[in-house]
Amino acid sequence: MVTIKSDTESEPVQVEIFPSRFLSPETTQKLLNELYKSGGIVRMMIQGPNLPRTVTYGPGKGLPIEEHRNLLVEVGGEILELRVKVGRIRVELEGEEFLPGIQAACERALPFGFQIKRGKFFREISTISDYAKYGKDADKRILGLVDPRAKKESALAILSEKDSDEKEER
Amino acid sequence: MAYTPQYYPGNTSVGANRRKHMSGNLEKLRDIPEADVVAIMGHRAPGADYPSTHPPLKEMGEPDCPIRQLVEPTPGAAAGDRVRYSQFADSMYFAPSIPYWRSYWAAINCRGADPGTLSGRQIIEARERDIEAYTKKLMDSEMTDVARCSMRGCTVHGHSLRLEENGMMFDMLARTEMGADGNVYYVKDQVGIPLDKKINVGKPMSEDELKKRTTIFRYDNISFGGKVGARKFDEALEALHHMWELRTKWGFRPE
Repeated sequence: MVTIKSDTESEPVQVEIFPSRFLSPETTQKLLNELYKSGGIVRMMIQGPNLPRTVTYGPGKGLPIEEHRNLLVEVGGEILELRVKVGRIRVELEGEEFLPGIQAACERALPFGFQIKRGKFFREISTISDYAKYGKDADKRILGLVDPRAKKESALAILSEKDSDEKEER
Repeated sequence: MAYTPQYYPGNTSVGANRRKHMSGNLEKLRDIPEADVVAIMGHRAPGADYPSTHPPLKEMGEPDCPIRQLVEPTPGAAAGDRVRYSQFADSMYFAPSIPYWRSYWAAINCRGADPGTLSGRQIIEARERDIEAYTKKLMDSEMTDVARCSMRGCTVHGHSLRLEENGMMFDMLARTEMGADGNVYYVKDQVGIPLDKKINVGKPMSEDELKKRTTIFRYDNISFGGKVGARKFDEALEALHHMWELRTKWGFRPE
């Protein structure tokens, strides 16, 4: 779904929020909601080290890790299950005018330092894996959001279906 | 005149701490019960007999060998214990010890031990009752901070990752947790198998204390060199640069 933009509309910008510590589920929920409320978000991705459900290696292989179960966060009315320790958040904004809102949201939600980097973090061109996974006419906003091996259903949440207001998270 | 070993040069606190770790002249900060150390290691149940791989040396009838007569076996070797290990990961955020210094400590101060250094973790192997004693020494001494170091037999990464919000080193298997009372508890053994009871290992050090006790050179504490937070190069760095120069230009041949 690509919307045609008028000349007056600004170009989307991408930023990466890099907190100086890993975020707990509570702080993650607070930050994501602050970001969501600040507006202008096209898509968002959270990334960090994996939180396995079971011990993956060694004599205890297969034992459940109860601490990593049911780590739920509620964002924009949707409940998501965290499967990573949140270490960085990449956001695509509708335009540059929303950047101060991102900065303010981070200052409100994070009790420690953080960096916000502007750059290009999501790919635009479909790879072979994307083609195999999403087909020929994939929504470009999905590209680069989830790990190639991850299941789209469990790793992606669509918070709003309204044209350019569509928001997705991992 | 008695010989005094000289372990490491330098006037910085990092240099002094490195000397302390190598010499084994360490401050004891806590006293973790032996049974708890054994439980965290997870090789045998606390209080159980030591399984053995061979009969005690006295019963074996050793061959006539001058080296065997000269070297007294460690208690574990004398009893025929299995070889077991303990492995620690240390955070790069000012953990008191780092893999190389754990290995120096073990190689210099522990008999019958086989230390192994990897990038973010360090393992020591020895006979079972010996490694238990060495591990207790490690955990009780200033080489260990309970939040920035932890015993991890597998899935060890954490050394180079950011800390958790409460200042603990990240652990994928959640072996340790910060209690509401500010103490750190082991809830699983070093390979991630849940323990019967939580083991309290005490309170973590403050950030200032960690910076005082660390053996890590960092630009935001005591820098090794370079332009950021640069300090005057000490003898160790001068020597290192000298070696590097000789080695790069002509091949290092100390003669």
